[in-house]
Amino acid sequence: MSAAAVEIRVGLGSCGVASGGEPVRDALEQAARRLGARNAVKSVGCNGMCYREPMVEVVGRDGRVTLYGNVRPETAAGIVRRHLRRRRWFQRDDDPAGDPPPNFAKQKRIVLENCGEIDPLNLDDYLARDGYRALALCRAERTPEQVIAAISDSGLRGRGGAGFPTSRKWAMGRAQADPVKYVICNGDEGDPGAFMDRLVLESDPHRVLEGLAIAAYAVGASEAYLYIRAEYPLAVERVRVAIRQAADRGLLGGLPTEVREGAGAFVCGEETALIQSLEGKRGMPKLRPPYPVERGFRGHPTVINNVETLATVPWIIRHGPGAYAALGTPASPGTKVFSLAGKINRGGLIEVAMGITIREVVEVIGGGIRNGRRFKAVQLGGPSGGCIPAWLADTPIDYEALAQTGTIMGSGGLVVLDDRDCMVDIARFFLKFTQVESCGKCTFCRIGTKRMLEILERLCAGQGRAGDLEKLETLADHVSRASLCGLGQTAPNPVLTTLRYFRDEYEAHLHERRCPAGRCPALIRYRVTDDCIGCTLCAQACPVGAIAYKPYEKHAVDDALCTRCDMCRQACQDDAIEVL
Amino acid sequence: MSARRGAWIAGSVAALCVVMLFADYIVAARRKTKDDAIITAARLARKKRDNAVAWVLIGAGVAFVSCAKRIGGSKPPGPPRDVRESGRLKAGCSQDWLPNAGFVDDAVARLGRSKEAAIPLLQAIQGHYHYLPDEALRRVCELTEITPAEIAGTSSFYARFRRSPVGKHVVRVCHGTACHVSGARQITDELRRYLAIPEGADTDPARMFTLDEVACLGCCSLAPVLMVDGHPAGKLTPATACEALRESA
Repeated sequence: MSAAAVEIRVGLGSCGVASGGEPVRDALEQAARRLGARNAVKSVGCNGMCYREPMVEVVGRDGRVTLYGNVRPETAAGIVRRHLRRRRWFQRDDDPAGDPPPNFAKQKRIVLENCGEIDPLNLDDYLARDGYRALALCRAERTPEQVIAAISDSGLRGRGGAGFPTSRKWAMGRAQADPVKYVICNGDEGDPGAFMDRLVLESDPHRVLEGLAIAAYAVGASEAYLYIRAEYPLAVERVRVAIRQAADRGLLGGLPTEVREGAGAFVCGEETALIQSLEGKRGMPKLRPPYPVERGFRGHPTVINNVETLATVPWIIRHGPGAYAALGTPASPGTKVFSLAGKINRGGLIEVAMGITIREVVEVIGGGIRNGRRFKAVQLGGPSGGCIPAWLADTPIDYEALAQTGTIMGSGGLVVLDDRDCMVDIARFFLKFTQVESCGKCTFCRIGTKRMLEILERLCAGQGRAGDLEKLETLADHVSRASLCGLGQTAPNPVLTTLRYFRDEYEAHLHERRCPAGRCPALIRYRVTDDCIGCTLCAQACPVGAIAYKPYEKHAVDDALCTRCDMCRQACQDDAIEVL
Repeated sequence: MSARRGAWIAGSVAALCVVMLFADYIVAARRKTKDDAIITAARLARKKRDNAVAWVLIGAGVAFVSCAKRIGGSKPPGPPRDVRESGRLKAGCSQDWLPNAGFVDDAVARLGRSKEAAIPLLQAIQGHYHYLPDEALRRVCELTEITPAEIAGTSSFYARFRRSPVGKHVVRVCHGTACHVSGARQITDELRRYLAIPEGADTDPARMFTLDEVACLGCCSLAPVLMVDGHPAGKLTPATACEALRESA
C-alpha cells in the first residue's frame, strides 16, 4: 500500500485559523513532503470539536481514525512521522500519541455528515460522497410536486428559528403564477453565540448549494441568492469558489447563483428586512401579508430558507423522507444542529436528533461545566430566546416543549451558564443587543426596549427603584405585542424568562443592592483573604495600581481605585482573592 | 505617460541646476586670487550666473511637482481630520483630496448603477478606503441612480459602515454571548487603557489602532475572541489581548 493512502486532515474553519491552524498545516505539509507524500495533507472544515482546535485527524492505512487535539507546529512533524513512516520499529519516543477518535455516539450527523472530512474547496471530494446526486435525481426522475411532497413527508421545519414547515413555503412559492421567482439562502446568522451556519458554509458549501438548487427546482425559481453576513469572510469566499466550481461543471443546471454580503444588521435575518437589504435599502421589516412568497425580492415571489434547512434537503432526497421522519419526535422530526458555547468543557458544534434532553447535551456531549463549577442555566435561541434553569434541564429539545418554558429553539445557539453568571446581567446584555439592533420602525421596539434597558442598567448599578420589576413586565408585554417583526416581538423573552426563573436574583439586586453571582461591577468588591502569600502577582496584574506592591506581606485592594476588572483574581495562584 | 516623462525631464533639469550651483560654489571657494578687484568682478559674474540657474531650478521644481502630482498612485494625501461621524453628507463644494478617485468609477462600472448595487458599492468603497469618505459617496450619487438621501440612510443603518477614518489596524473585539460571559468587557476596557484611547473615541491618539465592538465573530467556543485586521485570536485574557495587538503592530 502506498503512503498516499494515509490522509491527514487539518481543520481550517474560522475557529481552526483562530487557534493557529495555518502554521500547523504548513508544518504538516513540509513534514509530509520530506517523507515523499505530497498529497497526504488535506485542509478540511471543522468537524464541530472547536474546543480541541487546532486539530489534526489522521485516517490511517487501515482506515482507523486517530485524532490529535491542540496541535502545535512543533508537534506536527511527529504526527506525520508516526503515520507515514513504514518502518514502525523506527518510531521515536517523542512522537505524540493520538487521542481517542471523536465520539459521536449521542449525535446523529446529517447536516454535518461531511464537515471536517472533506476539503470544502474540492468539488470531487463532495461528489465522491454522493454530492449533487440528490439534485440529479430530482431533475431526472421527480416532478417539482414530488419533491415538495417528499419534503412534506419528512416533516422538515425551517431551522432558522420559527419552525415553519419548509414544504408549505415551497408549495406556496410553486403556486404563484409569476414567471419570475427567486430562492434565497438566509446565511445572516446574527444571533450572538451561534455559529452553525458559518461552520456549514465554511466546511461543506456545496451541500448548501445543492439544497438551494433543489429548492429552486421545486419552486420553479429563475435565480438564486445567498445572503451571508460580512462577519464571516471565510464563508463568503468559500461559497463564491464553490459556486464557480459547480457552475463550471454545469451542476447547477444554469441557475444563476450569487452571493450577497450583509453589512452588519441583526434584523436582516428577518425575511422582509433581508429583502430590503438585498434591494440596497435600510433593512427594515415590512408588514406581512403580503408574504415574501407572494411578493418579495423585486416584487416577485421569493422563497427564503435557512442554511441548515437547505443543507438537510439533499440528505432527505437521497435517503427518502421516511428515514428523516423516523428521527426525532413526531411533532419535530429530524435533527438539529446546536452550537455549544459558554462555560462548557467541550464547546463546538453538535447535531442531535430532536427530543434529546438539555441535560444530555450539556453533561454527556458537552462534557459538563468548566472548572468544576455548578450548572446554572442554558441560554437558548439568543436575543429572541430565553434562559432555561438547571432544574428544567430534563426538558426535551423540540419546538413545542421549549415554547412551554418561554424560550424558543431559535437558530440553535446554546450558551451554558454557571453559578458565576448573573442572570440580570445576561438579560441586560441581550436587551442591549436588541435595543441597538432595533431598526427603529416600531415605537414600542425603539423606545420600549430603551426604557427596559434603563431599568436593567439601574438594577445592575444598584440603583433599582420600587416597582421596577413590575414596570419591566408591563413594558415587556407591550413591546412584544406592539412590534411588527420577530425582533421586537421576541426581544423581551430574555428578560421574561430570567424574571420567571430567577426572580430572587432580581430582588437581590433591587432590595439588597447585591449581586448574588458576584458579577455586576457596581455591586461587588474584591478582598484579599488570609491565604495571600505575598507573591505580588496581583499587584503586578492590576492595571490601575489599586493593589500596593508589598512582597511577603498580605496585599490589600484599594476600593476607591479598583475598576473591578477581575485581573487580580485571575492572576492569583492561591485563590486568595474573593469577591464580596 | 506624458506626465511621467515631464516629471523626469523637470526633475533632471532641477538636479542639473543643483549640481551646477554646487560646482560653482566649490570652484569659487577653491579659487585663490590675491587681487581684490578681480575677485569682485568674478563674484559679480558668478552671482549673476547663479541667479539665472536658481530661477531655472525653481521653474523646474514647479514643473516636477505638478507633473508628479498628475502621475497618481503615489502616496495619497491624507483626508482632512474633521470628517464628521454624523450620517449626514456635508453640503458644499467638492474638496479634491480624495486619493485614487477613479476607484469609485471602476466600482460602479463593475457593480452596476441600480439602487440594488448600493450595499455592494458601499462595501467596495469601505474595503478600499477603510471608511466611507464623503467625496466617494457624492461620486456614487453622481454616477448611479442612488440619491444622496438613500445613500446616507443605507450607510448609517448598517453597523459595518463607518463615516470616519480608521487607524492603521482595526481591532474587532467580539461581544457575543459567549464572549460576554467569558469577560469581553474586561478585555475591551484593558485594551482601551493599554492604547490610551480617550473617552468617547474609538481610535488611539497615534492613529494606530481602531477598537470596534462587534456583535459576534462566530468563534464562540474560543471565547473571548478578537480579530486584528481579519486575523482572529481566541481564548484571550486581558494580558494576552494586548499581546495579540503588539504582535500585529
